[in-house]
Amino acid sequence: MNIWPVKLGFRSKIYVGMFSLLLLLGLVIFFLVARIMKESLLEENKNRGVSLAVNLSARMVEPMLAMDFLRMKTLVDATVRLSDDISYTFVMNHDQKPLVHTFKGGFPVELIPVNVVSNFQRYSMRLLDTGDNLVYDYAVPVFVGRDRLGTVRLGLLTTRIEKTFNRIMVSAFLSTLFVILIAVFAATFLGRPITRNIKRLHDSTERALRGDLDIHTAPLLKKNCWDIMACSKTECPAYGNLYHRCWYMAGTLCPTCVEGDYAGTITSCQNCTVYKKCAGDEIQSLAESFDSMILSLKNNLSGLEQADKTLKKQKNLLRAILDTVPDFISLQDRNGVYISVNWAFCKMLGKTEDEIIGKTTFDVFPGKKAEVYHQEDLNLFLTGEPLVKENRVVKGHRTKWYHLVKIPMCEGKGQISGLLCSGRDITELKRVQEQLTQSQKMESLGQLAAGIAHEINTPLGIILGYAQLMLEEGDDPAQSKEDLRIIAKQTKIASKIVADLLKFSRPVESVVSVVDINQAIEDVVSVVEHSFNLEQVVIKRSYGAGLPPVKGDEEKLKQVFVNLLKNALDAMGQGGVITIKTYYVKQMQKGRLVVSVSDTGQGISSDNMKKIFDPFFTTKGVGRGTGLGLSVTFGIIKEHGGTIEVKSPLVSERDRGDAQGPGTAFMVHLPVGNGL
Amino acid sequence: MTWLLVFSGCTRQEPPIKVDLSNKSQIDLREEGDVITYAYLPQYSHTVSYQRHHLLVEYLCRETGLNIKQIFPDTFDQHMKMVGQNKVDISFSNPFIYAKIVHRYGAKAFARIVENTSQDKFRGQIICRADNPAIKTIDDCRNKSWIAVDATSAGGYLFPLGHFLSQGIQKEAFKEIAFAPGPGGKQEKVVLSVHAGKYDVGTIREGTLNVVANRIDMNEIRVIANTRSYPGWVYAASSGLSVSIVEKVRNALLKLDFNKGDHREILAAADFLGVIASDDKEFDSIRELARRVGISLEE
Repeated sequence: MNIWPVKLGFRSKIYVGMFSLLLLLGLVIFFLVARIMKESLLEENKNRGVSLAVNLSARMVEPMLAMDFLRMKTLVDATVRLSDDISYTFVMNHDQKPLVHTFKGGFPVELIPVNVVSNFQRYSMRLLDTGDNLVYDYAVPVFVGRDRLGTVRLGLLTTRIEKTFNRIMVSAFLSTLFVILIAVFAATFLGRPITRNIKRLHDSTERALRGDLDIHTAPLLKKNCWDIMACSKTECPAYGNLYHRCWYMAGTLCPTCVEGDYAGTITSCQNCTVYKKCAGDEIQSLAESFDSMILSLKNNLSGLEQADKTLKKQKNLLRAILDTVPDFISLQDRNGVYISVNWAFCKMLGKTEDEIIGKTTFDVFPGKKAEVYHQEDLNLFLTGEPLVKENRVVKGHRTKWYHLVKIPMCEGKGQISGLLCSGRDITELKRVQEQLTQSQKMESLGQLAAGIAHEINTPLGIILGYAQLMLEEGDDPAQSKEDLRIIAKQTKIASKIVADLLKFSRPVESVVSVVDINQAIEDVVSVVEHSFNLEQVVIKRSYGAGLPPVKGDEEKLKQVFVNLLKNALDAMGQGGVITIKTYYVKQMQKGRLVVSVSDTGQGISSDNMKKIFDPFFTTKGVGRGTGLGLSVTFGIIKEHGGTIEVKSPLVSERDRGDAQGPGTAFMVHLPVGNGL
Repeated sequence: MTWLLVFSGCTRQEPPIKVDLSNKSQIDLREEGDVITYAYLPQYSHTVSYQRHHLLVEYLCRETGLNIKQIFPDTFDQHMKMVGQNKVDISFSNPFIYAKIVHRYGAKAFARIVENTSQDKFRGQIICRADNPAIKTIDDCRNKSWIAVDATSAGGYLFPLGHFLSQGIQKEAFKEIAFAPGPGGKQEKVVLSVHAGKYDVGTIREGTLNVVANRIDMNEIRVIANTRSYPGWVYAASSGLSVSIVEKVRNALLKLDFNKGDHREILAAADFLGVIASDDKEFDSIRELARRVGISLEE
């Protein structure tokens, strides 16, 4: 693995890279030049040898014809003396017999056959290895006209060409080396400022990484913007700032500066005298922008730290509130995983926060309960409708009641991101509410006792009367049968009155069933109508036809209607009309049943209007009412997922019914198909 | 550095052939026996001499069965001395040299050539530069510088000298008389010297201008006068050459016929049309001329 360049510094990389590049270039040129040079030298040497040999051949014709050995010898000797690298020359006749030569101590006969030139060749060249030297041997035929007289041979030592070549190569090598050194020095001279600035940038970056943001990387300027512009605006953020350039600053007060984003201002600044005089090269510009970036980062970090502190403070405060609130609160994400819970939630489950966070409903609650809660959550995520309910939890011999509200949390375009669940222990409230309801029932029973007694007494009197008549008349079977029928009827009436009382007075658990609301109202009215009539109060019925049933506890709903009728009776005193209306209202995909109970009483003042559902609030005299009726009514309706509203005085004909006085109307809204 | 130079020196090159220079021997050029030497008086360079006569020599070898070899004396004197020393068996020379070697060494003429002009005689020519305004006639040669071929040259000196004398122009009338530097090619050198303007007047053998026609523009040379004709170049045998050999050679020469294809090439190269029989008496006119111009055949 070639890892050493990674460890080199930038400067070293530049030097190594440049040196390598120049060395490579130099070597390529060197070897290219060397090759061309050597081939040129060889070609020149060949041409030189050929030229010498051909010249000697031409000059050898006359002496060869004359067999003038002296002249031939003179010519070959003179040729050898021309240059140190001419090793030998000799002349052969047409029989390849040497005539004259320049060798000492005899003629080397092995030379003759190694280089033979034909009559058709201008010359022949061979490289010979004499053991001591390499020799280019040239053979040139000696012609007179078309007749060949012999051959001239000439040997050129390669030493001269090698010396020349070596001298050129050394010069080329030294020149290349010199150029490389000059280039390296030049690169050093030019590269040092760059690498120095880059090192400063690197040091500054490391300091910034260590958290030190008081960094000044860019060099100080000889003249700053306030000097150049003769500015005296000390309030300008650029004034007196030696380390940051004005074109990177926002809010400068120079008349030439323009407001806007960085892209807009920098374009304007580039035409400014300050920029033109102070802007440096790319490295300096990088250092200046780096300084500005660090300054901006520092400011942002400072803001973030402040925000973080505030956030933490608020978080702690919120946490304290959440943990102080007796209600238990939990937050689940889209997958049902608990994200946050408060102390009360942990206490309720008997677990620590760490044991809950990150877990799902199945991890926190037991099996069946978890499945129910999970289904509720899925339904809530599906519909987006908040869920309000009361849960009864049995632990051993203890029964706990919890009031729960589950609300979807939305983010962005209404997308449900989580689920907030808030609940509280209403066991005590429930107990008191049950007690109050029971007490109110008993009170109601007490108040109704007289009427009921009268009601029962009436059929009983009739029964007794007919029974006595039967005893007295006894023989007439037809009359007796008629009397018995009346007696049976009156007995059933009495029996029903008693059964209704029993049902009404017995405190019962909520029993959910499908309730025909008209029938439930009629059951109540039939019980109370007689006693109301005694007070000259007339009950008018206006039941809607074909109403859909509601799911709920029929007895509790009847309790609601009893309370509303009794309130109407109390509001009117002697005489009046109570109008009961039922009708169906369709809203969106769902519908609701509305039960309206209006009276012609004195109405409710605006001050009392706010309090009428408060427990123990009553306008009745002492001993006439407990002030729990409407409160209980409100609880029962709420338990059924419904609402109750009150209007007084009545303004519309629909609300007024046949009312003579200001009147009051209570309207109970019950969801269809959605009870307890 | 060595590695660098070795590496950089890598070029495509054939491997060297190993030669042992210590294996030496002495040169031994033994002369062949029974060689008849043939020499052409070196009025031109050896190359010209060779080119003109080597075919003829080869012909004589074939025709006579003799081992005839052309040799190349460097100077006229050397030629004559080699005839005297019997180193030149067959001499082909101008009539004046012939007169000398007859007089000195007893050589004997046996044939002479027919010039390209179909004449069996030849003459000398007096030349000057065509643009020389001072020389119009032969008389204008007085007080001029004169370059001749050689003191022994017939056509290049003796014939023109005789011509000057006959015109009343003595040697002393010339500002300077010079001879072409040797060896060889002396006829051409005269023409080239006059052409170069170094000398005013030159004397050459008739036919020389054709030899140098490819070297200079002939329009730049003007012939002032031609000498009278004398017997042409002559074949002479040295005194040591047997009569039978002389006869064989003479017969072979006489058989040369310009109209025969193979002979035409030989004769064309030799720059003459043919060879005719000759004897010493035909050269008396030469001896008379030598006497008249005051040149001794002993010199």
